[in-house]
Amino acid sequence: MLFHTWVFFVFFAIVYPVYLLVRRDNRLMNLWLMIASYTFYGWWNPNYLLLLFGTSAIDYVMVLFMERSRSQRTRKLWLIISLVSNFGFLGYFKYSGFITDNVNALLYQLGSSLRLPDPVSYPNTMLGLFGAPPEAFFTKVVLPIGISFHTFQSMSYTIDAYRGTIQTERSFIRFLTFVSFFPQLVAGPIERASNLLPQLQKAPTISRHDLADGLSLFLVGFFKKVALADYLALYVDKVYADPAHFQAPALILATLAFGWQIYFDFSGYTDMARGIARVMGFHLMLNFNNPYIATGLGDFWARWHISLSTWFKDYLYYPLGGNRHGTLNTYRNMFLTMVISGIWHGAAWTFVIWGVLHAVGRVLTRELERTAFYRERVPTLVKQLLVFTFVTFTWIFFRAQSLHEAWLVVSRIFLTAWTDPRFPLLMLVLILAVWLYEFLYTSAQVTRRLVDLVPVRLALVIFMIVYLAIVAQPSTKAFIYFQF
Amino acid sequence: MSEQTNDARGHAEPSALAFSNGVRLSGRQWLGIGFLTIALVTGAPALWRQAERFEPGPDYRIPYELGNDYWLYARYSRLAAERYDTLVVGDSVVWGEYVRRGQTLCHYLNELAGGERFANLGLDGTYPAALAGLIEHYVDGVRDKNVILHCNLLWMSSPREDLQVYRPDQPVNHPRLLAQFWPQIPRYQEIVANRIGIVIEQHVPFCSWTNHLQQAYFDQKDVPSWTLEHPYDVPAFHGLPPTVRYEPISWTRRGIEKKDYDWVEPETSLQWRFFRHAAEVLKRRGNHVTIVVGPFNEHMLTAEGLRGYQRMHTHVVAWLEKQGLRHLEPAVLPSEEYADASHPLATGYARLARGIWSRTGR
Repeated sequence: MLFHTWVFFVFFAIVYPVYLLVRRDNRLMNLWLMIASYTFYGWWNPNYLLLLFGTSAIDYVMVLFMERSRSQRTRKLWLIISLVSNFGFLGYFKYSGFITDNVNALLYQLGSSLRLPDPVSYPNTMLGLFGAPPEAFFTKVVLPIGISFHTFQSMSYTIDAYRGTIQTERSFIRFLTFVSFFPQLVAGPIERASNLLPQLQKAPTISRHDLADGLSLFLVGFFKKVALADYLALYVDKVYADPAHFQAPALILATLAFGWQIYFDFSGYTDMARGIARVMGFHLMLNFNNPYIATGLGDFWARWHISLSTWFKDYLYYPLGGNRHGTLNTYRNMFLTMVISGIWHGAAWTFVIWGVLHAVGRVLTRELERTAFYRERVPTLVKQLLVFTFVTFTWIFFRAQSLHEAWLVVSRIFLTAWTDPRFPLLMLVLILAVWLYEFLYTSAQVTRRLVDLVPVRLALVIFMIVYLAIVAQPSTKAFIYFQF
Repeated sequence: MSEQTNDARGHAEPSALAFSNGVRLSGRQWLGIGFLTIALVTGAPALWRQAERFEPGPDYRIPYELGNDYWLYARYSRLAAERYDTLVVGDSVVWGEYVRRGQTLCHYLNELAGGERFANLGLDGTYPAALAGLIEHYVDGVRDKNVILHCNLLWMSSPREDLQVYRPDQPVNHPRLLAQFWPQIPRYQEIVANRIGIVIEQHVPFCSWTNHLQQAYFDQKDVPSWTLEHPYDVPAFHGLPPTVRYEPISWTRRGIEKKDYDWVEPETSLQWRFFRHAAEVLKRRGNHVTIVVGPFNEHMLTAEGLRGYQRMHTHVVAWLEKQGLRHLEPAVLPSEEYADASHPLATGYARLARGIWSRTGR
């Protein structure tokens, strides 16, 4: 179910009034939210509800076992079982095809006749042990929407419980609600148990401000998705569908447009998610904070997909040692974290290279950013443009279907002639307007006050509503990050 | 990854922020925006009607290219109800598929009447299921009028035409006119989200108005798609497109062979069910409805096909009689006056008009 479709509006029109009625009774509220969340997720493919339920149930039980364990070793065992199950499901559904293809290609190169079987054969073989006919159930491995998000959210709970930084959740229904909370279930923000679970433990208060802020967040997110991201996708998809037929200007503009498309798409989703949660009285974390005005790559990652960046920082970078054991180890840890973050996004070499590029960029610029010259002499705008250019360049690898295609785009950008890109003027105006707004909003107080003026804010809201109502096309296009 | 020391650990600074932009209104301001939105939704189409010049002259018919512009159709039907004595409603047979504006059924009826009394409310491709939606949602301004409703039995000539068979490679025309949830139409497949959107469009004129803007000013495309094809252009109203779609030659010269259609059973026909609904809606609104059945090109039918046609025809006429609905069964036209199975050529329309005029006594 997509936030920007009529189905969701009908769904929410049913869920919300009932929620308002039952929210004073915590058990009923959680039960209702869980039912709503499972309906929301099952709308796409009800079969995968079993997976959502299964991973949640394992984590819930493992934490209960942890609590009853007397020795640290046993606690660790339960944690490992939880992690193995989460990574196992994630690995099977998301990475098994990629791993099998690459291992088989390697075996072929080595002249071996051995081949790994198609991953779909594993569950069928297992079922065959119980007498089911071969290939009776699964014909291909379909990536469950948002699996990386809900498994990471669930894992954060078991890790935090193991560390003793949160209390064990005793209510199974509440835990299921925490993992499946529909506003942020399929594309984040990846909430921590320490933030969301306490909110589920009491009756949320919903103030006028919550309603107003929720509406504001939802409208901005809706506009980002329907009016901007889906619009830019038209040009991006056209060019990236056949990059060999486009010249440098079109490829540059399509890449630029993709950078904004993915930002509008993903941040639009989380804005809507936060808006929906807010009108229900829940406060979800900020996930994007104007990343394209970042002045360094570190700053960029502090502004882009904040819930994932902080997840990796807390559960990977720090456990690896963080910046505590010398420069070399710090860079190693940074590098590993960035590469794994790339792989988190998708099972393809393009995502690995994307992660590597960011890792290399981060390592190289960290020292540069520490110099007095860079800090004090380089104008902020130059820094922002440098970061933006680098990030945009790396999006080529994120968007391309293969390394070959990415390389084709890069080479054609530098080697082909400058011809008319036929880039819609309206697209350019919209991108520049948003960029200008972000600069104004994050700049000095004088200009910030300008965009904070009531007439300006009202005008923006009216513009967005009119644009959505009249100009934007109806959309049922899924969010890019659903595939992760 | 952000630059933070291990000591900091937490991530309070981003999560503490509620907004990353200034677009934040108070409850009172949202209330104002709500009223403004309601005003926009209810008022914009009416204001646009005042601003947009629309003066349909004699023999006007909705341009083929604007065949999906139901807001324009609704506007024209209201205007026609004010100006004309009788409105002729139907599919491309009424519209005049193979003929010019001055050669349609309405044109010849007006000639016989000696003035502008008949309005052409034909719309290309409106099979009965679509026609029922068109009448229900976009012709509600037509009340207490004389209405001639054309019944084209071609739409019941096979399970496919009768919408009983789904073919992914053959999407239906006018999906936005169809009943979205009930009765179910096997040939029409659409996701629930889009069905809900269509139902809203059918009931909220603002939505069909925005579609009108796209149809009339953006080459029947949504604005984003249009800008992709015209990256540096400004939209403009393109005026009325030409109206003859096919060469006006007879079916025999076209080389069409006789057919034995796989007529559906009248009792189970979806299209017939929708046609009955269309007639009932018009009647319920106080209109004096006259239903014209055919004339179908019986010359194009094999003996077997003709038997199926007659069975369907008999059933239709029997139902009309039972309901007490006024109806006409024009005689079959000469073979050379048909362009295909159901569309007459200009001479055919003239003959048909004479037949209707003589029988209606007006």
